[in-house]
Amino acid sequence: MAARGGKRAAERSAQIKAKRAKLNSNKTPQTERKTKTVSFTLDKEEASPNSRENIISVPPPVSAGKWTNKERVLVFSSRGISFRTRHLMQDLKTMMPHSKADTKMDRKDKLFVVNEVCEIKNCNKCIFFEAKKKQDLYMWISNVPNGPSAKFLVQNVHTLAELKMTGNCLKGSRPLLSFDPKFDTEPHYALLKELFTQIFSTPQYHPKSQPFVDHVLTFTIADHRVWFRNYQIIEEDASLVEIGPRFVLNLIKIFQGSFGGPTLYENPHYQPPNTHRRMIRLATAHRQKERQMVKEIRKEKRSEEQEVMRQDVTDDVFLTPADPKPAQIQLEAPEPQGQKKKKLSELKKKKLMKRKGLR
Amino acid sequence: MVEVHEDPQLGLDSDEDDEELSDDELQEAFAKGLLKPGMNVPLIEPKKAINNVEGLKKCLAEFKRSLPWAERLDLTNLPADDLIAKAEGKAQQSEGGEDINAEDDFQREMYFYRQAQATVLLALPKLHKFKIPTKRPEDYFAEMAKTDQHMQKVRKMLLIKQAAMEKSEKAKKLREQRKYGKKVQTQVIQNRQKQKKAMLSAVKKYQKGMTDKLEFLEGDQDPKPKGPAAKKQINKKNPNAKKKYKDQRFGFGGKKKGTKWNTKDSHDDVSGFKAKMAHGKGGKGGKRGGKGGKTNKRPGKETRRKMKARK
Repeated sequence: MAARGGKRAAERSAQIKAKRAKLNSNKTPQTERKTKTVSFTLDKEEASPNSRENIISVPPPVSAGKWTNKERVLVFSSRGISFRTRHLMQDLKTMMPHSKADTKMDRKDKLFVVNEVCEIKNCNKCIFFEAKKKQDLYMWISNVPNGPSAKFLVQNVHTLAELKMTGNCLKGSRPLLSFDPKFDTEPHYALLKELFTQIFSTPQYHPKSQPFVDHVLTFTIADHRVWFRNYQIIEEDASLVEIGPRFVLNLIKIFQGSFGGPTLYENPHYQPPNTHRRMIRLATAHRQKERQMVKEIRKEKRSEEQEVMRQDVTDDVFLTPADPKPAQIQLEAPEPQGQKKKKLSELKKKKLMKRKGLR
Repeated sequence: MVEVHEDPQLGLDSDEDDEELSDDELQEAFAKGLLKPGMNVPLIEPKKAINNVEGLKKCLAEFKRSLPWAERLDLTNLPADDLIAKAEGKAQQSEGGEDINAEDDFQREMYFYRQAQATVLLALPKLHKFKIPTKRPEDYFAEMAKTDQHMQKVRKMLLIKQAAMEKSEKAKKLREQRKYGKKVQTQVIQNRQKQKKAMLSAVKKYQKGMTDKLEFLEGDQDPKPKGPAAKKQINKKNPNAKKKYKDQRFGFGGKKKGTKWNTKDSHDDVSGFKAKMAHGKGGKGGKRGGKGGKTNKRPGKETRRKMKARK
C-alpha cells in the first residue's frame, strides 16, 4: 500500500512538473512586463490608419517587481469532512489571497504524500484538514520542505456566513496580526507564533491582494488553547466588528519535520476526543450504578426479617394496682322512684301560658 | 492502577522495594522504620509529555525568516484598558492572562476584542510611517469577502432583532402602566368609600342628636374662600352631575318601577343632598352677596295656604 501510494504520487509529481515547465516557459517575469497597447474600433468607423486615437495603452501594474515574499499556502482536506469544515476552508481561502486549493486527499495515502502535493503546487506552507468519525476535525499546519509542523484539534468552528458575524472586509486585503504576550513565554508557543505569522500574513504587493489594511486577526492563548478571531476595523479609533471565521485550536503535537519526524513537543493538557467522550459515558454509567446500588440496599433493608416484639418490656411501668374494694351484695330490691317532674325553662313556660291563655 | 499515598518524609519509593530488594533487606528497612505497615502498592510514574526545548529553539532559528515589519504586520500586545470594568469600579486586574476565564463567554470575547483594539491603536502610526493606507476612498469599489446579498441578509436580521426588542419593551411598559393604573384606581375607590363612610357616620350622629353642627357637610371643601375656583369646580361637576342624575332616572329607557323605595339604602343615600341649597347658601353666587338671609327659601305651609287663598 505504501509502495502504491508512493508510486502514484511520484507519477503525479513527474507529470505535473513537466506540465509546469511547459507553461512557465511562456510567462514573462513581472519585472520585464512592458506597457501593453490595445487598439479598438468603434462600430461605425472602419479600421483605417486614420483612427490612431483609438489605441489605448494599459500600463503594467504599479507593484510590478515589488512582490518578493513568495509565500504560498496550500489549503486542502481529506475525505469525510462535514459542511462546516468545507465552509471554513473556503473562508480561509477567501481571507488569504496567497492560498491555493487542491482536491481531497484519499485516506489511503500516507501523510508524507502531502509534502509531494505541496511541491507539485509550488507551495511552501500547508494547512491540511483531517476529519475522523465525521465528528472530530484535526488541522495540520506545516512549513513544507523541511520545517516544523503542528497538529491541532479544531473546536467551536463558526464560519463567515453566520449572520451574527456582521463585519465585512475587502477580499484579499492584508491583515494585521495580533498575538497574546503569552506566545513569547514558552518556546513551543514562539514556534507556533512564527508559523502563524508566516502563514496568515499576506505578502506585500501580492497581485491578488488589496492595498488597504482593514482587518485584524487575533491569536490568544486561554485554557491551554489557541483562540482565533477576525475583526474588521471600522474607524481609526479602533472600533471593531467581528467578520469571522472563528475557531479554537487545541495543540496536540509539534513535529520537527513536515508531517513527520521526531516529536518536539507534546501537549500534556490535550485529551483526545474519544477519551473525553468515554469519560462522559463512564461518569453517567457510574452514576447509574450508584443509584442502582442505593435502590438495592433499600430493598434489602425492607425485606429483612424484622423482630416482632411480642410484649413490650415497658408495658408494666405505670401499672399501679388499686386497693381491693369490699364486695357489696344487695339483698333487698330498691324502692320504685316517682316520676321526675321536668323543669321547664322560663321561655317555654311563658309560651305555654300564652297558649293556654289564648285558648 | 491504584496510587498509594506515600508519605514524602519516608523517602523510599515502594516501587523499588518490591522488585529490587530481597527479604532480608526488606526486614532491615522495616526495622529502621522506613516501611509503613500494610500493603505497599507499586506506583506508576505519570507519562511525561515530551518537551524538547533545545530542539524547539533550534527549529525556530532554522526556519525563521527575518522579514521587515511591513511584510508581516504582526504585533504582540496586552489588551487595551477595560473601560467598562473601570467604570463599574472593579479592581484593576493584573493583566497576567491567566485571568481569562475561558468559560465566561462575554469576558473572554471582550478580552479578545480589547487585544485587537490595542493592536490597531499601536499599528496605525506604524502603518502611516510605512505609507500603507488603511482608509478606503469612497469611490474604490472592489470585491468584498462577503457578497452584498449576504450583507443585506445580515442587515435584515439586525432589523428584525431590533424590532422584536422594541416590541417587547413596549409590551412591558404597557403592562407596567396598566398595573399602575389599576393601583391608582383601587386607591381612588377606597378613598371614596372612606369618605362616604365618614359622611354617613357624621349624618347619623347629627340625626341621633349627638352633634348639632352641620359643618361636616362642608368639611371636604377648603376653609379658605376659594370663590371662583369652587365655582369652576362646581360648574365642572354640574353638567356631569345633572347628566348622571338623569341617566340614573331615565337611562336605559327608564327604570321607573323600583326607583322609589323607602329602604335603608335609599334612606342612607345622601347623594341628592345639597348642603348649600338646604341652608340657603350659594344659590347662584349668593345672590350677589346680601339681599338678606332668606333668599330663595320656600315659605311655610300656612303662608302658602294663605297665599293660595288670596289668589
